[in-house]
Amino acid sequence: MTALSRRAFVRLGASGAVAAPWVLDPATIGAATVTAQEVVDRVRKAAGVEWKTATVDGFKAGDPATSVTGIVTTSLATIDVMRRAVKAGANLIITSGPTFYSRADVPTPPAGRGRGAGVAPPPDPVFAAKNDFIRTNKLVVWRFSDHWRVRTPDPFAQGLAEALGWLRNRTHDDASRLTVPVVTLEALAARVKSRVDARGGIRVVGRPQARVQTIGLLPGTRSIQDTVALLPQVDAIIAGEIREWESSEYARDVANAGRGKGLILVGRSLSEDAGMKLCAEWLRPLAPEAPVRWLPAGDPYWRPTT
Amino acid sequence: MTAGEVVDRIKKNLGAPWRDTTYRDTFKSGGPDTPVTGIATTVFASFDVIQRAVEAGLNMIIPHEVTYWNDRDDKTVVSADPLVYTQKLAYLAAHNVVIFRTHDSMHDQRPDFTYVGSARELGLEPRYETAPGSHRFTLPETTLGALAATLQRRIGARAIRVVGDPGAKVRRVQLGVGYATPAPNDADVDVVISGEQQEVDGFLDAPEYVLDAAALGIPKGWIMLGHAVSEEAGMLEMTQWIKGFVPEVPVQLVKAGEPFWAP
Repeated sequence: MTALSRRAFVRLGASGAVAAPWVLDPATIGAATVTAQEVVDRVRKAAGVEWKTATVDGFKAGDPATSVTGIVTTSLATIDVMRRAVKAGANLIITSGPTFYSRADVPTPPAGRGRGAGVAPPPDPVFAAKNDFIRTNKLVVWRFSDHWRVRTPDPFAQGLAEALGWLRNRTHDDASRLTVPVVTLEALAARVKSRVDARGGIRVVGRPQARVQTIGLLPGTRSIQDTVALLPQVDAIIAGEIREWESSEYARDVANAGRGKGLILVGRSLSEDAGMKLCAEWLRPLAPEAPVRWLPAGDPYWRPTT
Repeated sequence: MTAGEVVDRIKKNLGAPWRDTTYRDTFKSGGPDTPVTGIATTVFASFDVIQRAVEAGLNMIIPHEVTYWNDRDDKTVVSADPLVYTQKLAYLAAHNVVIFRTHDSMHDQRPDFTYVGSARELGLEPRYETAPGSHRFTLPETTLGALAATLQRRIGARAIRVVGDPGAKVRRVQLGVGYATPAPNDADVDVVISGEQQEVDGFLDAPEYVLDAAALGIPKGWIMLGHAVSEEAGMLEMTQWIKGFVPEVPVQLVKAGEPFWAP
C-alpha cells in the first residue's frame, strides 16, 4: 500500500464491495495493516522513557487487536472529538486526558461519595451514550499522558511555544523558558488568547501594564512548588491550571509587593492541546500504515459577555 | 483584649464541636497573647488585605483561607521565595498582626456562612431552596446563558467560567462553595455553581462530563465563580456574627476580591 492511503482504501472497499469483493482482502493487494496494540508497542518502545507500573496510561476502551484505520491525537477524548475522529475515518484515539471523566477512567460512573460506599450508582445517560458510541464505531482509546510529559524536551511546553509562535525564542536550551520582545502582560494575554484559541477559560493575575520579556511555561496541572521555583526567574508564567489557594494567591501577593510579574492560566486541557499536535507529528513515522491527525479538543469554557 | 480571647469566644459560640486536630484553624501569625486593636474578616489573608487592615487600625485578621499559599500554611514550602514571602512576614511582624484562620469550623457551623453568603449574593433566594441546608434551588426556568449572565452581573466577577450549552433550558441548581464542588452527574441537577475544581483526573471531571452532556443534548451546566469569589460573600455573615460577641473592638469585612482578570 504505497500509493493508496489506508483511508482511501477503506472508502474504495466500502463503495466497491459488491462489484469487486477482492478489494476487501488487504492481503491480496499487499496492504500493510497494524493493530492498536502494535501501535502502542511501538510508541512505548520509541518513547525512550522507563514505563511506570503505577500510571494512568493504557487502553481505556475498545479491543487492542483492532486493525487501525486512522489515528487521532487529542488532549481530551470528548464525544465531540470522537465524532470528528469517526468522520475522518480514524478508529484509534490517543488522548492525554481521561475518557471517562476521572483519574480512575473506567466506563462506569463512580460509586461511593454521597451515596455510601458499595452502593451501585444509578444509570448515567452520558456514560451510556459514550460507551455506545465507542462500541458502535469500534473505537479504541489509549491514554498517553504520564510518559509523554516526561520526555525531554517537555512536549507540552514545546507545543505551547510553537502555538505562541515563539519556538525559536527558547531561553538557553530549556523548552519551558522563552525570551521574547518586550510586551505588556495585557498584550501577552491577548496574544495567548488568540494563539491557543481560548474562549472563556483564560484568566490572568498581575498588573496589566507589567513588562514581560521572559516567560516560563507550566502546561498541565501544577503545584505551588513549581510556581515558586519558576516565577522569580521569569516575568510571567503561562500555565494550564493551578490550585487557587496556591499559585494564583501567590501571584497576587507578588504583584501587590510591587513586582512586575504575571500569571496567565489557560486551563489544563487547552494547555495540552498543542503538545498533542506534536504527538501526532511524532507518531506519524511510527505508524506509516495509518493516517495520523491531531484533533484539538479546544477550550471547554465560555464566559458571559456583559 | 487578646487574640486568644477572641478565639475562645469563636469556639464558645460556634455551636459545633471544635476540631482539636485541625491544622487549618490555627494561628498563622502572632499568637493568643497578641493584643487586638480591631478585627478584619476576609476570604484570603493576601498581602493587600493585610495592608488595608493595618491601615484601618485592625491588627487581627480572620481569613477563611490560607496565608502562605498552601493548605497547611507550611512555610517551608514557600520560604525560598525571594519575591514576597520575606516582605509579607516582615510586614506582619512590624505591625504586630495576628492571623487566625477559620476554615473547618466555618464549614462545621450551621448554617455554613459560606453557603448563606454565596446564595444571598447570587440571588438564590431561600424560597427557591428545596429544603433548608440542601443548597439545591429550583428556579423559574431559564437558559444556562441567561443564568450565567445574571450571576456574573450580581457577583461582579470578571473571570467566571462556564461549561455547557448556553441555550440549555435549566432550573435545578446545586450550589457548592470553594473547592467543595458537587459532581455534575446527579440526575436531579441541571447546573452546578461553585468556586473551583480541578479540570481532569479527579473523582468526576465536570468539564469533560458537561461537554459530553451538551454534545448529547442533555441540559447540564457548570459555572465556576473562582474560589475567592465563591467564599468571600459569606465573610459578611461571619463579620456580623463575630460583632455579636466581640463588642470591645471594631470588626470589619476587608474584601480580598477576585484575583483574576480576563483578556
